[in-house]
This record gives sequence, structure tokens and C-alpha cells, in this order.
Amino acid sequence: MSKVIVVTSGKGGVGKTTSSAAISAGLAMRGHKTVVVDFDVGLRNLDMIMGCERRVVFDFINVIQGDAKLKQALIKDRRLENLFVLPTSQTRDKDALTQDGVKAVLDELRQEFDYIICDSPAGIERGAHLAMYFADEAVVVTNPEVSSVRDSDRVLGLLNSKTYLAEKADGRAVKAQLLLTRFDPQRVAGGEMMSVEDVLEILAIPLLGIIPESTTVLRASNVGMPVVLDDKSPAGRAYEDAVGRLVGEQIEMRINPAEKRGFLQRLLKRTA
Amino acid sequence: MQAPKADEREGATVKPIQIRGRSLTAVALHLEGAADANFYNALDAKLRQTPLFFENAPLVIDLEHSSVASPEAISALVAELRRRRLSVFAAQNATAEQASAALAAGLIVLPGGRDVPIERVSRSPARSARPVKLLAAEPEPPPAATKLITQPVRSGQTVFADRGDLVVIGSVSSGAEVIATGNIHIYGRLRGRALAGVNGDGAARIFCHALDAELLAIAGLYRTSETLGPDTPRQNVQIYLEGEKLCVESLK
Repeated sequence: MSKVIVVTSGKGGVGKTTSSAAISAGLAMRGHKTVVVDFDVGLRNLDMIMGCERRVVFDFINVIQGDAKLKQALIKDRRLENLFVLPTSQTRDKDALTQDGVKAVLDELRQEFDYIICDSPAGIERGAHLAMYFADEAVVVTNPEVSSVRDSDRVLGLLNSKTYLAEKADGRAVKAQLLLTRFDPQRVAGGEMMSVEDVLEILAIPLLGIIPESTTVLRASNVGMPVVLDDKSPAGRAYEDAVGRLVGEQIEMRINPAEKRGFLQRLLKRTA
Repeated sequence: MQAPKADEREGATVKPIQIRGRSLTAVALHLEGAADANFYNALDAKLRQTPLFFENAPLVIDLEHSSVASPEAISALVAELRRRRLSVFAAQNATAEQASAALAAGLIVLPGGRDVPIERVSRSPARSARPVKLLAAEPEPPPAATKLITQPVRSGQTVFADRGDLVVIGSVSSGAEVIATGNIHIYGRLRGRALAGVNGDGAARIFCHALDAELLAIAGLYRTSETLGPDTPRQNVQIYLEGEKLCVESLK
């Protein structure tokens, strides 16, 4: 039984594409056949973060419009056996997405893949709407600050009302979970960021994971490598944990994986 | 007294202009046919009965059933009303011709709205911020029905109980709106806007576990988070109208 999971947030720049790449790579590492689909038509980023931008020939929009077969557009990841990318078009805009077209592509992907990760664009307009419309589950990416939390709350409202499962109203709903990204415990302690408890109190959904703010995330993006492939970084480990929870494992929440550093290292960090 | 110097004014913290929303209750005067002697006699009789009622009351002329249309006739009508110390300021339900004549006479032209016979108005029936849709007039009110919401009300969502009370089991997020013609009960934190008694029911109340609201309104009288002082109780509260005052009280 395949699952369509949308990675969404409302607000831009919170880490949707990074999280989509990390989650899909994490799922593939666990042996699940996974495809990650870029819904951000016109602002193609996913293929860069996945490091396959030079292999894009056909894209999602070509498939929707019948100019290419799905098999031609899917790009197989060079590092992970089970991972595929469906890139989007840089030259078109969101109007090229149609509900029927998206449904047809997702239905075809469901035949073959265990997990279909939909990387949503920012906003709540057409692209974001269609990215979430056919989802079974949602990963709501949120930064611990008020505007991101409010936008996520808005998106949760849309997930509860403007999706196929919600409109069908047969008692099933899109299962939404929170992924708190760019979390910096020191700034939370200093009152500059919201605490995990504050965010959870407002959003009232289960917590999938907490990704610490980390320079390795940016470095991984720049070299086109999903951050989970860097198993030494705290962010990579946090994503791995989140993926484990996504597939139903019980993994204890490490609020700050960075705190696993040795005593001496912490001392050095303080004085640095 | 001397006017303050320019540099003093610049140093002042008072903003030179503030824009605030304001809703008010106006009296609508329905004119049947022409503004003839009959009309003025009837009007004068009414004014004698309740001389103080209309004093300073903003007044709107309703021209729906009126034949008064020429600029001269409208001007004369306005002059006659003002001579009776009626503060006429607008015309509603006007035809295009009446509208231009009313504008020429210094009135503003309002889009048609619903109004209620004045006898039924017990107290200031201040309209809510968004009355048009909410006040869809029905001759026979349907039986009251409580609306129950078992999920959090999210930012951007509006829940409207159009026939009675609203019960929310969960929180109301900032940017969300809960509206009821009756009472509103929130078993959670209220961070958004809550408007109870929107059809003018001043007896309606709002109850919530935790109060952090952007706006509270009962029967159109409202307070925003800015006007809720720091002493306002925040846990297990009820909000109700006492006269024209919106009170927040802790439930002991």
C-alpha cells in the first residue's frame, strides 16, 4: 500500500525542499521504494538539492501534458537504489498543474512506489493546493517563530478542509505531523525563539522531529546531497529519527542531538 | 497661547493620524411617495411623541418607496429635516437619479442594508464588523441549533453558528474567527476572534478556558487585545455585556 506524503508549510524558506530530500533519502535508505516530486513549478530547486540537476530531460509538467512518459521523466538517484526524483519545469508556472493531471501522475506512481513525497511550494495557492490535495499524510515544516507557526496553522486548516480525503468526508483525514526545523536551543533559552512546547500548544499535532539549526544542512544543499547521507551531523541524525517515526517506529525525541557532544567539546564551543 | 514649535512637535510621540474602524447605529427614515404636507405632519407628530429620541441620532433617508428624485426636492427634504434638528447624513436604496441628487445635497449614498423597526430595538443594536452576510433576515427564525466543533479552529478558518450557540472543543488559533448568534463556549485557548450574539443578542456570552483573544464582541460591541488591560483575567473566563460595557470576569 503506497502512501502519498506532502511536505508543506505555508511560509517559504523554512526547509520544505531540504526536508523533502532528506525524508525521501531516509525512506530509501530503509529500503522503501521512494519518489520525491517537485510541485514548485517555475522555481525548480529539488533537483539541485538532490544533486541531479544536470540529468533533467523531461519533467513533471511534460508528463502531465502527455509530452513524455513518466518513466522518461523519473531520475534515478546515483547513491541510493530505491530513490527517484520527478523534477519540475523551470520555464512554466503553477497554472500548468491540473487536478486531473496531478491525479493521473500520482496514481501511476502509486503503482510502483511505497512512498511518494510531494515537495510543496510556499503559499496556499494552486501549487501548494495541488501538492496537498491527494495526500494521505502531511509533514508540516515549521520554524520556531510566530509567523511560521501561524502559516503552518493555516495550512493545517487547509489540510482539514481542502484535500481529497477531507472533501470525501468518509471519516478519514490527512494525518498531519510537525517537523520543527532550524531549531536552536540556545536561542530558545534566550527567548528569541519559541519553545517546542509553545509551538505544539498552538498547532496541536504530533511531533515528528526536531531538526537543529546546522551549517551541515546548507553545505549538503550546496553539494546536492540529502542531509541524511551525512550520518555524522546532528541534523542528519535528527532527520533519520524523523523518518523512523514517519514509518511508525517508536524513537525517543532528542530535543537537542547536538548536546551529545563531550564535556570538553562543549566547553570549547562556549569559549569559541 | 503659542503654537508649539516644529521641533517640539517632531519630538512628540503622538501620531498625527490614526485610522480606526467605527460602526454606529443610525435611524432609517422610510419615505413613502412624495415629501408632501402629509409626510411632514406625520413626522412632526412622531417627533412630538418622542422628542428626545431623535436628538443627535444619525439619520438615513430610505428612498426605496419614494418618488422624491429631483435635486431640488431632495435638497428641500434635507433642509426640512435639518430644520427639525434631525442629523440626516445619508440616503439608502436610492435610484441612480436619486443618488446623484443626494450627493449634490451633501449626503452620502449607502448601499442597501437591512434595518429593523425601531420599536424592536431594546438597546443599541450595534452592528458587528461584518453584518451583511450574518444578518440575512428571515421572517420566522428557525429553531435554535447548537454547533459543535471537535477540532481546533485554525488560522484563516471561520466557524459560524447561525442558529444559536457554538461549542468548540479545542483551541481557536490567532487569525481564526468563531461567530455565533448565541453564546460561544471554547474548551481551549481563544487566540483568535470571537463574536457572540451577532444578530444583536446582548444577553449572549463568551466562555473560554484561556483568553488570549485578538477580538471579543457581543452584539457588535467589541474590545480588541489592545484594549484588554493587563489586569484582565486570562484563565476560565466569561465575557458578557453589562449595559454598554464588555466585561471579562473570572469563573470562580
